[in-house]
Amino acid sequence: MTGDIACHGCDLLVNVASLKDGESASCPRCGSFLTRARSDAFSRVLAYAFAGVILLILANSFSFLSFAASGLESVITLRQTPRAIWDYDMPAVAIMVAAFIIVIPAVILGMLLMLCIPLQQGRYRPWLVTTAKWIFLAQNWAMVEVFIIGVIVSLVKIAAMATIVLGISFWAYAGFTICFTLALANLDRYQCWERIEALESA
Amino acid sequence: MPELVSATVPATTAASRGLSACHVCCKLAPAEVHHCPRCGSAMHLRKNDSIQRTLALLVTACLLYIPANLFPIMITDQLGSSEGSTIMGGVILLIHHDALPVALVIFVFSVMVPSGKLMSMFYLVWTVKRHSPVSPRQRTIMYRVTEFVGKWSMVDVFVVAILVALVHLGGLLAIRPGFAALSFAGVVVVTMIAAESFDPRLIWDAMEKNGRKK
Repeated sequence: MTGDIACHGCDLLVNVASLKDGESASCPRCGSFLTRARSDAFSRVLAYAFAGVILLILANSFSFLSFAASGLESVITLRQTPRAIWDYDMPAVAIMVAAFIIVIPAVILGMLLMLCIPLQQGRYRPWLVTTAKWIFLAQNWAMVEVFIIGVIVSLVKIAAMATIVLGISFWAYAGFTICFTLALANLDRYQCWERIEALESA
Repeated sequence: MPELVSATVPATTAASRGLSACHVCCKLAPAEVHHCPRCGSAMHLRKNDSIQRTLALLVTACLLYIPANLFPIMITDQLGSSEGSTIMGGVILLIHHDALPVALVIFVFSVMVPSGKLMSMFYLVWTVKRHSPVSPRQRTIMYRVTEFVGKWSMVDVFVVAILVALVHLGGLLAIRPGFAALSFAGVVVVTMIAAESFDPRLIWDAMEKNGRKK
């Protein structure tokens, strides 16, 4: 049973034990991606996650966008985006927006560090299983890249009305989006759990 | 990559060996085990009541989709007059303003993706229910695409959130969120949960049953 993986798309048993460093496997029957073996995967995740933490802090520290017309100006920070909707009596939408663009990505980033630092150093920690479980459950609900597209679309929509200035936070968030996406892309579900199990039994 | 297993021959699946795979950590364990020996998550041979749950969530999403398209998603207050715009109205307005690329982005993410997603999920549930032998590989790809594009429909909700926060210049100009913002966000979240509760392995289970009968 060692090295066997059941395809999550069609349940076919595929043996991936012979996979060499840098190679990836897809299911021969349905084509779903199975796993990628990479000896430096955890270092990659860590590099992107650390960069992501710095950029996320920057993104929360400065002005995000400013809008000026007829001598009046309005400036928003990242956090004010969900708050404005809250003030218009739509708390459900406000909570969703805040969760999808700030809270869930930030929590995932923190958990990535808690998970990948011990895995990279080859040390067992009692929280490994719980953090890994939550990362894989939550990752589909982080929508940072979708939010960036949303920002670009809204800018084009109102560009004719007024002068728009992109703040430092906007650029920091754009960089954060890239780092966050790459960090998660480098975390392989199967390899990660195999490593946790190996450390647990050692 | 060469085709290793023909789709008509019963293949060695985890289930045929009496194994179930953990949904969270991919661990294989005997089917009678209820909790994953590695990560402790609940284990099932197939996702629990997959078809019923998916169908119930799809119907919910359809109901939410009606107000999402009929009510304005945002309301612009300009110099005392207020004007609401629906999702489709916004797309048409952008075409009139010659902003075709953005009109296309909004049209794809807010109109095509949600409706296409509902239709493809209904199609998948329907074919699984009647044990359809129609190209399981393509249906699996269809499911993967549906699962992947799901969250991209949130673009319109984020646009509303940004515009509401950004555009308020005293009494001159302000943008308020409309009721459709809530129901549309609901559609996106509910269809995402529907896609997550669907089990693509059911597509292949039906195939194997058909293969063995022959």
